[in-house]
Amino acid sequence: MPWKHGYTISDEVGIKDAAIRWPDGKRMAAHIVVNLSLASGPAGITRADIESGPAAFAINEGLDLLLAALARQSFPVTVAVPAVMARALAPRLRAMRAAGHEIAALGVKHEDTSGFSRADEANVIRLATEVLADVVGERPVGWFTLPRQLDRYGVGTLSPSTIELLLDAGYTYFGNGLADDAPHYWVTDPTTRRAMLALPYYYHFDDQHFCMFPAKGTGLENSDMLIRNLRAELAAQWRRGRYFTMVLHPQHAGWCNRLGPIDAFLADMAKLSGLWMATGRDIARHWLKAHPPETNLALEPSIWKDYPGSLS
Amino acid sequence: MTSTLEQEIDGLAAAALAYASRFERIDKVSWPNGARIAVNFTADFDAMLLRRLANESPLQLAKGEFGGRVGIWRLIELFDGHGIKATIFTPGRICELYPRAVIAAAKSGHEIADHMWEHHVPKDPDLERDHLLKAAAAIEALTGKRPVGTRSWHTQALLKSEGFIYNSHGSEQHGPGYAYDAAGGNVLVNLPFHYAIDDAMFFSMSWMRSDTLEQRISDPDRVLDMWWAGFRQQYDAGGYFNVCLHPFVSGRALRIAMLDQLIVRMKELPGVWFASCEDVARHCLAQHPPRGGHF
Repeated sequence: MPWKHGYTISDEVGIKDAAIRWPDGKRMAAHIVVNLSLASGPAGITRADIESGPAAFAINEGLDLLLAALARQSFPVTVAVPAVMARALAPRLRAMRAAGHEIAALGVKHEDTSGFSRADEANVIRLATEVLADVVGERPVGWFTLPRQLDRYGVGTLSPSTIELLLDAGYTYFGNGLADDAPHYWVTDPTTRRAMLALPYYYHFDDQHFCMFPAKGTGLENSDMLIRNLRAELAAQWRRGRYFTMVLHPQHAGWCNRLGPIDAFLADMAKLSGLWMATGRDIARHWLKAHPPETNLALEPSIWKDYPGSLS
Repeated sequence: MTSTLEQEIDGLAAAALAYASRFERIDKVSWPNGARIAVNFTADFDAMLLRRLANESPLQLAKGEFGGRVGIWRLIELFDGHGIKATIFTPGRICELYPRAVIAAAKSGHEIADHMWEHHVPKDPDLERDHLLKAAAAIEALTGKRPVGTRSWHTQALLKSEGFIYNSHGSEQHGPGYAYDAAGGNVLVNLPFHYAIDDAMFFSMSWMRSDTLEQRISDPDRVLDMWWAGFRQQYDAGGYFNVCLHPFVSGRALRIAMLDQLIVRMKELPGVWFASCEDVARHCLAQHPPRGGHF
């Protein structure tokens, strides 16, 4: 690659546009993630988060409006759900699954596990998986660690063990990778080539970073910028025949001044030729078959040398 | 007898003038073939190095990794498609992480210049020298050419002694000029850039370790308008425009498209000289040598 632990998670050169194959000769894939977390910060969902106006809106009118907008275009989406919200919204989740959406995991409370012990993090994964399986009737195959508005970084949080634990727990894909804008492999052990498929995420395509960000009352409303970013990325990736993804929250995307432009954007997406609208599960299934790690992950020995006075 | 405060006024006023006097402007700069403006597209190829240096989280590192796996290749493709020679400021360690990209950029004729060994300059002079030599050797090993330019905080005397001719690091003036050290010596060509014409300021959350509450991310349409206004002002004035990019930021598809639009608009105007920083520096040395004497 050359591989360097602590610096890189995948191989040296990402897949080229021309090498990407989508099903049925489609030109590009698009993945919409609906985030049902109400967590404002790294602690995950708190009582204060739940007992708030935006929370009540999110699980009622906001969710109705966002799902209706998606249904108008018949777009299947991945719904990332913390176990807490799965319990709260169990009938709705079952209805979403029945409508063709995927239900994926987002922790127990959408907590930041980066400081957890391996055992504690494994327990979060086990419990979240069980709750989702119980509510939906099938185990989730995708795991997300999406950022919250008040996180230190807008990329999501991982511990050094997270990806290994997800592989151990049988997950198919990790939902918020940042090392590529096409699906790519997150290598946990370069010797054995153990790797997990990562689907792309980017904070410029996540509504929460433009909607009263980072907190209501003091934040900035830049939802016009969100829409311009989404439109620019979709057009650019369509020309490349690559991949588009965005994350929408009912409490953000569902509110009137954002909903109209989102609705119009979804309608324009539907008019694009060769667009494969798919859930994370379907994209992962296709990618693992069309671009398996055995033939697509080019790992080479590191040429890194350690020196005194330099970072190792 | 003057008061302490009055002494402070005099001291600071003298310091302001002394510092500013270290930078020499080139008046009425002329460009090759009568061009009106020189444009330097520069890319700071940090990838995840700065994130690693700041001990940031795994996904912050992955955000930077995008620059090495994907972004740098797209920038090379963009510049090659437009016949533009860019300058890639490359930390030495990046040569060990992304040798293929560095080699490919050099093969396309882009300038590979120094961006410090691992994106910082050690305070200890011996270690500083060690880092600069390592970075220069790493670049030379891949490209066959020792860098003559840098974007760094390296000591000017050290840069001078190692054969560097320019630094592209400050915003002391719009156009190219000369920078002297505090003793008035060790002159280097100064190729200024400004944070307002720097992609990371608009598109990278947590850049320079900023907090969530300080975030300000934007969109390509808005930034294109601002950069175009900057370019147009310098074009009309007859000057210089240095665009600072980062492969992990500008390598994103929507921004490559934005840069493509920017370049297409620039090329519609006559007299735009797209050059590497080294070309601009050598031109200045040949046509507008420093007034302060021997280079």
